[in-house]
Amino acid sequence: MRVLSPLGVTPDTLKPLAPRPASLNGLRLGVLDNSKPNADVLLLRVAELLAARAEGVTIRTWTKPGSSRPATMIDEIASSVDVLLTASAD
Amino acid sequence: MEARGVPAVVLGTDAFLSLARAQAAKKGMPHLPVSLVAHPIGGVDPATVRRRADAIVDEVLAGLTRDPAPPARPTASVGAALVEAPDDLDALQTWAMDARWSDGLPVLPPTPARVNRVLGARAAHRHEVIATLAPLDGAATLEAMAINAALAGAGPEHLPVIVAAVRAIADPRFNLNAVQTTTHPCTPLLIVNGPIAGRLGISGGPNALGNGHRANAVIGRAVRLVMQNVGGARPGLEDRATLGHPGKFSYCLAENDAVSPWPPLHVERGFPAASSTVTACGAEAPHNVNDHGSTTPEGLLLAVAGTAATTGSNNIYLAGEPLVILGPEHAQTLASTGWTKAEVKRRLWEMVRIRLDRFSAENLARFATIDPARFANQPADAEVHWCLAPEDLVVIVAGGPGKHSSVVPTFGATRSMTVPIEE
Repeated sequence: MRVLSPLGVTPDTLKPLAPRPASLNGLRLGVLDNSKPNADVLLLRVAELLAARAEGVTIRTWTKPGSSRPATMIDEIASSVDVLLTASAD
Repeated sequence: MEARGVPAVVLGTDAFLSLARAQAAKKGMPHLPVSLVAHPIGGVDPATVRRRADAIVDEVLAGLTRDPAPPARPTASVGAALVEAPDDLDALQTWAMDARWSDGLPVLPPTPARVNRVLGARAAHRHEVIATLAPLDGAATLEAMAINAALAGAGPEHLPVIVAAVRAIADPRFNLNAVQTTTHPCTPLLIVNGPIAGRLGISGGPNALGNGHRANAVIGRAVRLVMQNVGGARPGLEDRATLGHPGKFSYCLAENDAVSPWPPLHVERGFPAASSTVTACGAEAPHNVNDHGSTTPEGLLLAVAGTAATTGSNNIYLAGEPLVILGPEHAQTLASTGWTKAEVKRRLWEMVRIRLDRFSAENLARFATIDPARFANQPADAEVHWCLAPEDLVVIVAGGPGKHSSVVPTFGATRSMTVPIEE
């Protein structure tokens, strides 16, 4: 039979998100592809559409070596972009 | 990325929303913007994928340029996991012990249907977090409490008492983290006052602290299971009790308002007589006071004081609020010459004293570092009281006919908390 677990959910500490810019004008937009099928298509299309809605947006992409491994280029990305698009799971 | 100051939006497919959310929540960012397209995108014509991208671009732009408000309750959206358990009720017991869900007594399966029945009208608010419980800071949602109530065999009518009791033990003054993890044998003794006790059959009469009363048994047990399962205090692991005591299965009674010569506990603490409350005390097992002989208040108090004045009690050096549960006949004797409850407390406090030469030198040295005002540089014939002040004693009336009362020492570093029961 299916039963509900009585174990508690232990919350992690709530962390603040990064402050948001008012617009994407002149910003460096990073794209981190998680290497799942068609993730690159989805991410790049969204990135192009975002760039089209602002002025002077540059796009740079990175691809994770495998979707189930953590990205190794985090430091490089963090220092190279102002905002980031990425993908999770399939 | 967010932690490094780079705003991010995560794209995903709707089928994996829970995974993306769980990952974000695990990193402390349940409010991280996630934009979803219809699942799947793998194995789909790229033109279709691009069309789905077109549909979410506004949302992604908002996610990158608008500050998302953190959720008021970070875990409010996280419900209990549904897991596969044995159908056979006997096999379920072994399984529940292996999962560390059980207290050792038989548990009933918390199926979604049974949990919903316990929740009743509260099902709409099942993810509301009522309290955060030490030691693991588990979120005591209504749902989590109802699941443990269902395990314990409690019904929907018991849930309001369970919820109020959980609020009481979560009050910082109760010091739940210490009560849950100490080596000392303590657990919340739940004292129910007011009309709900009669309605639910919570006994304050004969054998009130013993067996034979379903409401007492399942309410106390459900709160214990919430402490173990939601608070995360597993016996022998986070719960470090050396011996524990039998009240850790269930420890709940009502005050016997009807036969008490004095105002009940909740009225003493400022609640209307017609309201119902639950008081949680971080308590040891009851220590009996047998007095079949005394016919005067002074004589009877000698027996109570003699039982209370023991050298092995936490209250001696940690103070706190020791409890006295007076049997109705003893209460009548104490009130027979007009003593109020405050008078009983004052006289009893005066009488419960222990000479310091009854403690070992090592113990006295230890107590002196904890409470130098009472223990440091004192002569051997100095006496310490049971607690700091008469008002710190908690006195209630419960039980049936007979000449017995109970002294209940507490953990010491805990205050008893009274919370109204909201039905």
